[in-house]
Amino acid sequence: MSVEVVRQILYAADSAIFAYFIALNSSYLVLIVLAGFEFGRHLRRSSFAGADDMFRSPLTLPVTVIVPAHNEGPGIVPSVQAMTSLRYPRYEVVVVDDGSSDDTFEQLREHFDLVEVPRVVPGEVPYTSQVLSVHVARANPETLTVVRKTNGGKSDALNVGINLARHPLVCMVDADSVLDPDALLSVAKPFGDDPLRVAACGGVVRIANGCKVVGGRVVDVRMPRRWLVRVQVVEYLRAFLMGRTGWSRLGGLVVISGAFGVFRRDLVVKIGGMAHDTVGEDAELVVRLHHYLRERGEDYRVIFAAEPVSWSEAPSSLRVLGRQRRRWHRGIAEILSKHRRMVLNPRYGRIGLLALPYYVAFELLAPFIELAALVLVPLGLWADAINLDFAWRFALVAYGYGLLVTLVSLFIEEISFHRYPRWTDLLRGVVAAIIENFGYRQILAVWQVAGAAHAWRGRPAVWGVMQRQGFETIPADADALAGAGSRV
Amino acid sequence: MLRIFAITIAVLTAIVAVTALAIVVVRILRQIRRRRRETLAAGPRRALLAFAADNGEEGSFGLVAIPEDAWKAAEPGALGLLGKLRGEAHLALVSVFLRRGIARRALGDLRSRSRVRRARAAQVLGDLELRQAVPELCRLLTDRHAEVRVVAVRALGRIGDPVAAWRLIASLDQPDPVPSLLATHTLVQFGPEAEVTLSAALDHPEARVRAVCLEALGLLGATGALDRVARVLREDAMLDVRVAAATNLGRLGTRGAVEPLTQALTATRPTALRAAAARALGDLGAPSAVEALVALLHDEHYRVAHEAAHALRRLGPRGRRALQDVLDVDRADALDRGAGAHAQPSSAAAHAREALALAAIAAETPADLVAAG
Repeated sequence: MSVEVVRQILYAADSAIFAYFIALNSSYLVLIVLAGFEFGRHLRRSSFAGADDMFRSPLTLPVTVIVPAHNEGPGIVPSVQAMTSLRYPRYEVVVVDDGSSDDTFEQLREHFDLVEVPRVVPGEVPYTSQVLSVHVARANPETLTVVRKTNGGKSDALNVGINLARHPLVCMVDADSVLDPDALLSVAKPFGDDPLRVAACGGVVRIANGCKVVGGRVVDVRMPRRWLVRVQVVEYLRAFLMGRTGWSRLGGLVVISGAFGVFRRDLVVKIGGMAHDTVGEDAELVVRLHHYLRERGEDYRVIFAAEPVSWSEAPSSLRVLGRQRRRWHRGIAEILSKHRRMVLNPRYGRIGLLALPYYVAFELLAPFIELAALVLVPLGLWADAINLDFAWRFALVAYGYGLLVTLVSLFIEEISFHRYPRWTDLLRGVVAAIIENFGYRQILAVWQVAGAAHAWRGRPAVWGVMQRQGFETIPADADALAGAGSRV
Repeated sequence: MLRIFAITIAVLTAIVAVTALAIVVVRILRQIRRRRRETLAAGPRRALLAFAADNGEEGSFGLVAIPEDAWKAAEPGALGLLGKLRGEAHLALVSVFLRRGIARRALGDLRSRSRVRRARAAQVLGDLELRQAVPELCRLLTDRHAEVRVVAVRALGRIGDPVAAWRLIASLDQPDPVPSLLATHTLVQFGPEAEVTLSAALDHPEARVRAVCLEALGLLGATGALDRVARVLREDAMLDVRVAAATNLGRLGTRGAVEPLTQALTATRPTALRAAAARALGDLGAPSAVEALVALLHDEHYRVAHEAAHALRRLGPRGRRALQDVLDVDRADALDRGAGAHAQPSSAAAHAREALALAAIAAETPADLVAAG
């Protein structure tokens, strides 16, 4: 009798897991289809979007680009080069060197001819570290500022940058990012189009590994050499580009990547800047912004700009990837825990009733269910609760549906932005979508569960070291000689 | 159950295969389409460049005679070229567009049911700077879709006919109006002929309208509106409007603006207004404001002291001398207190030091000396 009960329970559990996978992938599919509509809408409007008018207008809102940097020596110069030569009428770049122990500052000082300025740093948002010195580029003091401070973490560095920002919009960009020339125009444009309502705008982040960077610009988009990074390319496409565009369309965007997002400075100051108590400070800021604006009954928008993009270096080793994903999932767990009163609370509209419950059910819990499936399905087989035919069909449908979702993302990417021009890269993308299901997802689930556990156990956050490889960077003049021959 | 699984797997396999095939087909079709467009556009593009090089004197008949499919492929480039040309060449290319019936088609499309077509048509008419389109574009200022209204405002700005000024101002007093910055830019594009209308609108009951008109008057350098702007600075009930008045008094660049701006620095006024007035005095370059600005360096509010220091920096030698005096006095005080040369500077001295350091960099003198001092 008791064996039969166990069998029944295992069967029910396996069936529930199956239903969960179907629901999870269906939700992805809905978001991706919504993103497809949004891209179509965006492309149909490109001829009258007015980006050139915005670039020419003396009234375009100026932006402060804040770049927190910690041991970013190998890639900091091309990144800052690109950031100081964006196509935008008026902006400044504030690099905050957060106690680097490598040559990050020396690289910047040498390349941009920095000179120290005794800037007064206001305390509009809290920071805990000590500002050691502030420097500006001798040739262009209004455009580039570099702050040296003792190590205090990314949030602290961003808060120092927010304090020093002179402009009404602040754009937070990772130091390993290379921005497309029109990237800032693209993410700042919604603030000009709808200044009373737009509170924040996220930009899309793509993976730069394998791409050719010339003079701080991605000029040739290629798939990375390593399969581990290729899988991340399709993952970014599905989850970040499509997923966030879909949420933006639904009015429920709660994550703007710290790698590229623009915020109204006055609102960021009002809500106290970046939080120091979470490793997911970027998403936490957005959730807190929703919290603040919803509580005041404000009519506002938090949106996502799908094109052009910021390019970032993705982890190319399992060790670094593991650290990154543990941190990301820890961030999700911390944010959902910190703002748990918003979940299923009608006072917070779509954020409380749709977006945050979705994050609980399909982001936070997904790796737990994935791991549960890896244990319970074999257990069900062993206990004879399910037979082998059921098991392999179960796996095929669950992972096949996941594959379909990723292929639909690739299809929409091909219709809309088609950033990977080579046939071989297209093929690699499709293969990456397949192999993502064999090993990658499962190991990701282990790291994510560990990250959530760290959050719940309150373990102190440790910022891992990202081993920067730097981009394949070629000086602009050298490329002019070699470029034609090197391209297919 | 197994049967359902089997059917699901078969359906999934089919959809996956179709999706993969669709990716390939889309890529092939796009490449074919791109090559076809490039081939079609190559001839017209050469003709357009030759036309532009000849300043529009030769080749207009050839451009008008280009077959429709080839012109369509080249049209985005032609519209782009339109924005780059000036004078005779621009007029000649506009005439080509008119003779091809593009303006007529666009005017018709302004009444299309599709908002995308209406917006595209407004964009084309703006690119063509077609004055005859102004009444129809003004009608679009009340379009039910915000994106159409935005394109209409931009098109009106390109055309630059001040007749539309009042309609545009009136459209700001609606729910979900066009963005203030865009409206301001367009009003500026209307030129000095719009000044009277803008000045009159400073009495408009809607604060947003007053703020937009103040910005436009400032950017136009409408010195004739000085007294009205100063009155808004003194009397307006809305802080944002008063801040806009202060900022734009600075842009007017006349001596008469100094007195109302100096009054706005009074400690009882709101912080944002005092900071804006300090910045405006720096923009004005009025040496008579030095004393008032120096007093603000001691202000408890960072923004006020910061703006005052940088306004003094922009005032030239007299302002910088005043900043240096503040530093010298601070050092002397520190010595009197026995705090030594490396004592923490006062807040006023810190702001003065920052401004002087930037002034030194601008003058290409070694800033280290100032910073170290």
